[in-house]
Amino acid sequence: MKKYFAVFNINLVNSLAYPAELVTRSLMILLFMWIFYQLWRVTFAASGSDVLNGLTLRDTMWYLLLAETLELGRPRLARVISQQVKDGSIAYLLNKPYDFLLYQLSSGLGESLPRMGMLFLLGGALTWVMAGPPPDLVNWPVALVALVGAWLLHFCFNALIGLAAFVSEEVAPYEWIYQKFTFVLGGMLIPLDFYPAWLQTVSKSLPFAYMMYGPARLFVQPDPALFAQIILGQFVWLSVLGGLLLLAYSRGLRRLAINGG
Amino acid sequence: MPAIEVTSLSKTFRTKRKAAGLGASLRSLVRPEFRTIEAVRGLSFEMEPGELLGFIGPNGAGKSTTIKILTGILFPSGGEAKVLGYVPWKQRRQLAYHIGTVFGQRPQLWYHLPAIDTLTLFGKIYELDDRQTKRRIAELAEAFEIEDLLETPVRKLSLGQRMRCEVAASLLHKPKLLLLDEPSIGLDVVAKQHIRDAIRTMAAQENVGVLLTSHDAGDLEALCKRVIIINHGQIVYQDKVSALKRSFLTSKLVEVRYAQQVGADFRIAGTETLKVAKERYGVKLRFDARITPVGKVMAALSAAGTLVDITISDPPLEEVIAAIYQKAENRE
Repeated sequence: MKKYFAVFNINLVNSLAYPAELVTRSLMILLFMWIFYQLWRVTFAASGSDVLNGLTLRDTMWYLLLAETLELGRPRLARVISQQVKDGSIAYLLNKPYDFLLYQLSSGLGESLPRMGMLFLLGGALTWVMAGPPPDLVNWPVALVALVGAWLLHFCFNALIGLAAFVSEEVAPYEWIYQKFTFVLGGMLIPLDFYPAWLQTVSKSLPFAYMMYGPARLFVQPDPALFAQIILGQFVWLSVLGGLLLLAYSRGLRRLAINGG
Repeated sequence: MPAIEVTSLSKTFRTKRKAAGLGASLRSLVRPEFRTIEAVRGLSFEMEPGELLGFIGPNGAGKSTTIKILTGILFPSGGEAKVLGYVPWKQRRQLAYHIGTVFGQRPQLWYHLPAIDTLTLFGKIYELDDRQTKRRIAELAEAFEIEDLLETPVRKLSLGQRMRCEVAASLLHKPKLLLLDEPSIGLDVVAKQHIRDAIRTMAAQENVGVLLTSHDAGDLEALCKRVIIINHGQIVYQDKVSALKRSFLTSKLVEVRYAQQVGADFRIAGTETLKVAKERYGVKLRFDARITPVGKVMAALSAAGTLVDITISDPPLEEVIAAIYQKAENRE
């Protein structure tokens, strides 16, 4: 495990090599949170109620903050692997004595953590000013557990799309589709509680709800039944996607063609 | 046991083919056309432990593909290969502990970080303890003269400096075999010499076998004892470098520049004048070093006027390969 920790560590150091860039790129969340606040403030005012589908305006904003942090801070692995195949640098990654997927996991985590931390910090400060203080401290560890599961699901999806580069020329369209699914069916733009019942059922039977809605919802209202449901869902989908990932890797390796001879 | 044993190795790639224009793009969506490229065709050779073997050929000859199969990154389409007793594509991770690789056109060092960070990471990846890693880094830093470069971010190094760090990184875990794919590509003469010297010294000291691909005949002369020339995925020649030199690398190209104009009919005995520059200050000649000694040509050139510049070089490898083909055809 030492080697994977070292890979995580060097990615972390690399991400922090340009602190100004890290901060500047994370500033984007301020714009998103401000737009969300304007939209939801009007929505709540128009409804004439302080609570909509069990969520207050403050809950909604902190929910959206966590979802945005995950979306903007998740590893961009699909793009990374696809680039490594295109420019041939994959050759160096495949001929080292480690598991390629665990390498990508450690590397993605090292790259993702500082970004997520900075996004949460900046976005959180603005959300606090606009919508009120963050959820109770007791909510945090519950959300964190679900956040780990959600991050791993994102990793599996991204790695699967990235591995498609072993056989396909371009993976950007697949990444686009995956992203839009997490936006809509994952509850990133609108919490799933605001959907009609049938769409909620559809969403919750797909993996995307466990990648966004789960940790974000638990962050604002850590209901034990919901926690159990989210963790179980994450476990099931991680088993399915993890299995698929291992299969895709062993198959993909046979079909890999590296550019540049 | 040979370090490398390759029998009838082949690799084909299937690539999409599309004519220019929108119409062809649309047609290709409905009915894509593919063509098969045979990058390696029935390659067989052996390499002994500690041997310095040059694997040369022009661009697209199949050198890099062969190296990638031998490191286990690519699966072959046919044939067999064993590297240090391992079947590379089946035992890639076990093999990785015993081989070092450098792909000259691709960086393995972390671009924004100092090389020492990548070397330390590699120490962990190859499961060396921290003390071993430190000691080894010090040894390599001395051999490759990179002591002062290790703490500079890689992006700030020159290509020559970076390549020395790259090769040093590939030797960190004391591999038994070093696979170098175009290690001198893009380097200037001094940097090439520097890197060749360091590789030769380390290989001799640690008895590391070196399989080197290049399309630079200089790499071959400086580093290798034996050479395999491949073209279109097949071996067209294999012998000792000394034999190759005797047979093919005998002609030399000389480019000179004089302080004053020379005659349009400039001639030096024992050489062939290829070109006299329009403004008549520069001349390009060729001669056979077996027939006319280099010293004699230099003396004659110097006697012909005041020399401003002089370059002496081997013919391009493509010419050598053409000569090898010619010889094979004549034999038939």
